[in-house]
Amino acid sequence: MSSSSPSPAELVARTATLHHAGIWIDYGACVVRLRSPIAALADQIELVYGAYPISHQNEFADYHVAVDYGRGLRRHLRPTCRFEIDGIEPFEPFPAASALPMFEWGVNWCFAQRGNQFVLLHAGVLARDGRAVIMAATPGSGKSTLTAAMMLRGFRLLSDEFGVLDPVSGDLRAMLKPVALKNRSIDVIREFSQEAVIGPTFRGTRKGDVAHLAPNRASTALVRQGARPALVIFPRFVAGGRLELKPQPPEQAFSRLAFNSFNYALLGPLSFNAVADIAATCPAYELGYGDLDEAIRSIEQLLAEPCGVADAA
Amino acid sequence: MRPEPRYSAKHHLLPLLADVTHLRSMSLADWDSTLRLARQARLLGVLAHRIMHDPALLPAVPEAVHGHLRSSINFAAHRLQMVRIELGDLEAALPAGMAVVLLKGAAYIAEDLPFAQGRMPNDVDLLVARRDLDAAESVLAAAGWEAEKTDAYDQRYYREWSHELPPMRIPGHALEVDLHHTIAPVTSRTRADDALLESGLRPLPGSRFHVLSPADQIIHSVIHLFQDSEMSGRLRDLVDIDGLIRLHMREAGDWLVLHERARRHRADELLWFALHYCHEWLATPMPQPCGVGRRPSMPTRKLMDLLMHHACLPLIADGGEPRVRGIARGLGQLRYHWLRMPPTLLARHLCHKGFARLVPRSD
Repeated sequence: MSSSSPSPAELVARTATLHHAGIWIDYGACVVRLRSPIAALADQIELVYGAYPISHQNEFADYHVAVDYGRGLRRHLRPTCRFEIDGIEPFEPFPAASALPMFEWGVNWCFAQRGNQFVLLHAGVLARDGRAVIMAATPGSGKSTLTAAMMLRGFRLLSDEFGVLDPVSGDLRAMLKPVALKNRSIDVIREFSQEAVIGPTFRGTRKGDVAHLAPNRASTALVRQGARPALVIFPRFVAGGRLELKPQPPEQAFSRLAFNSFNYALLGPLSFNAVADIAATCPAYELGYGDLDEAIRSIEQLLAEPCGVADAA
Repeated sequence: MRPEPRYSAKHHLLPLLADVTHLRSMSLADWDSTLRLARQARLLGVLAHRIMHDPALLPAVPEAVHGHLRSSINFAAHRLQMVRIELGDLEAALPAGMAVVLLKGAAYIAEDLPFAQGRMPNDVDLLVARRDLDAAESVLAAAGWEAEKTDAYDQRYYREWSHELPPMRIPGHALEVDLHHTIAPVTSRTRADDALLESGLRPLPGSRFHVLSPADQIIHSVIHLFQDSEMSGRLRDLVDIDGLIRLHMREAGDWLVLHERARRHRADELLWFALHYCHEWLATPMPQPCGVGRRPSMPTRKLMDLLMHHACLPLIADGGEPRVRGIARGLGQLRYHWLRMPPTLLARHLCHKGFARLVPRSD
C-alpha cells in the first residue's frame, strides 16, 4: 500500500474501475470479483486490502458479487446498499455507509454456501514454517483478537473465520480476509502494535462495533500456499486471568472442532475422516489467557515441540 | 452499473449438457460464465457427475473449476441422503395397503437412474389416488408433517383447483413433501387420464413405493415444464426429459406408446414442444424430431420460442435483466395461469390475489 494519499484523479479512476470492470481479490481458497458504484467502498478496500495483489482484469472468478445502492425512492432519503451474487440477495439492505461490513459478510456467506469442496471449520488459522495452528472457538472467546495479535507478532495469517480444510490432501488452505475486530478488541489491537492497519469503525452493526484489520504482506504473499495442521488451540479470554493450558483428549478436540464447523453435517463421512485425522495427529489445548503476548509465547512453545500423540504411537 | 456482456446458455452450457466432451474446447473464461449459468439452473451437480464419470476428461478441466465440481457433488450427495431419510420416514408412516407413487427426483433416486446423479431435489413429490388423498394427508399429519401456513383461500385453491396439497414438512427436516393426486392441475386444459396413469404403475423392487411407467414419467416432466411453474429456470426439467428419453426410448414401439399416452393425457402438443427443444438444445436422439406429439400452429411456436429463450434458459445479467426477458417472463406467467384455469376462474383468482395484495393480512 502506498503511504502517500492518492490524487483526486487516482480516486476517480479507482472508483470507476470498481464500478465498471470490477476488481478480482484472491483470498487463497477462492477468487472474488467485486463490482460496486459506491465510492466510499473503493476507499475502504484500498485501506484494508492494501497488501493484496488486486487484479483489474482476470479470466476467472469463483464468485462474482456486487455491492450496489438500494433500490427505489428511499435511496434518496436514506441511502442503503445491498449485496448480490448471481441475482441472489442473501441479506436485507444495510445503510450505505456500511458497505464494507456488508461486503465482508457477503463473501463469508458465499463461501459458506458454496465452498463445500472443503471442510469449513469455524476457526482462525495461522502458520509458522508451514505448520498451522488452528484457533477454534465459539464467538466471544477472544479468537479474533488473539488471531490478530499473532499475525502482528510474526505468524502468517491464513484465516480468521474459516479453517479451510482440504479433505483430499489434509492441508489447510488460506481464506485470507481482513480480520473483523469487534467492540473492545478494536482498541486492544490498535494499542497492541503500531503495525496494525485498521479500517474505519462501523458503529452499531448487527455484531456491535466492527473494524477490519488489514492482513500484512507476509500473509498475502503466501495466499496460495497451504499449511499442515500441527496444533489445535481453543482460546478462552479471561480478563486479568493467568495463563492456563489444559490438554484436550482427541475425542474432545474432535467434537469441539466438528460440531463448530459450518458444513460438517453436509459433508458426512468426508468431514468425519478429515476432522478425525486432525484430532488424532495434532495436540490440542484449551488456552485460558489474560495477556496476549503471554498467550502467543505459549503457542510458540507448543508449536516448537515435536508433534507428540501420533508420532509416539 | 453497466450491464455485462451477456453470456447465453447456448454458448457452452447447452452444448455441454448435450455432450460433455464439449469441455475440451472451453477456455477458463468460458468456464467462468458457464459455472454461473449451470449453478443458476441448478445443473452444476449433474454436469459435475457427468464430467467425473469420464476420468479422461478431468485433465481438460482447468484446475480452478475442479473445486466447484467437487463442491456440487458433495452438496448433491447430501441432498440424496436427505431424500433417502425422508423416504424412510414416509415408508414408516404410510399404510401398507395404499398405493403411493414417487414422482420426479424422488423416483429417479429410488430407481437409481444414472442420468439423475447430481440432481439437487428440494422436495419429495408423492402421488396417491384422489380417493386416498384425505387418508394420506391425515396419516402424514399424525406422523409429524406440518402443512405450510396458508389462509382459507389458499387452502381452497389447493384442494379444489390444484393437483397437489400445500407443501408439508417435518419441522427441522431439509425437504418438503408435496402430496399430489394427479399430474396436471385439475382445472387446466391438459387433463391427465388418472385411470391410464394407474394402470401403468410399476412397483419398485424392495420398496413400498411405485413409479409411473417410463412414458408417463416423460409426460409428467413435460407437463411440469410447461404448466407447473412460470417456466423460469425450468431447464432442468428439459434435462430430465432428455435423460428419460436416452434411457427408455429404445425402439420405434416405445415412441408409439409415448405418442399415444401423451394424446390420451391431452399433452400431445406440449410433448411436441418438449421434444423440439430437447432436440434443438440438448441433441436428444430421436427418430424424427417433429414426428411425435401434435405439431402446434406457427404463431404458437413463435410465442413459445420467445418464452423458452428468455424464461427457461439461465442468463448472466449483472446490472439488470434485459427488458425483453422481463416481458417474456410476464407472458410466461400469464400463459401459465391461462392454461391452468378457465377464464372465469382465472378472473376470480386474479381479483382475489390483487385485492389481497392491497389489504395486508392481519396476522
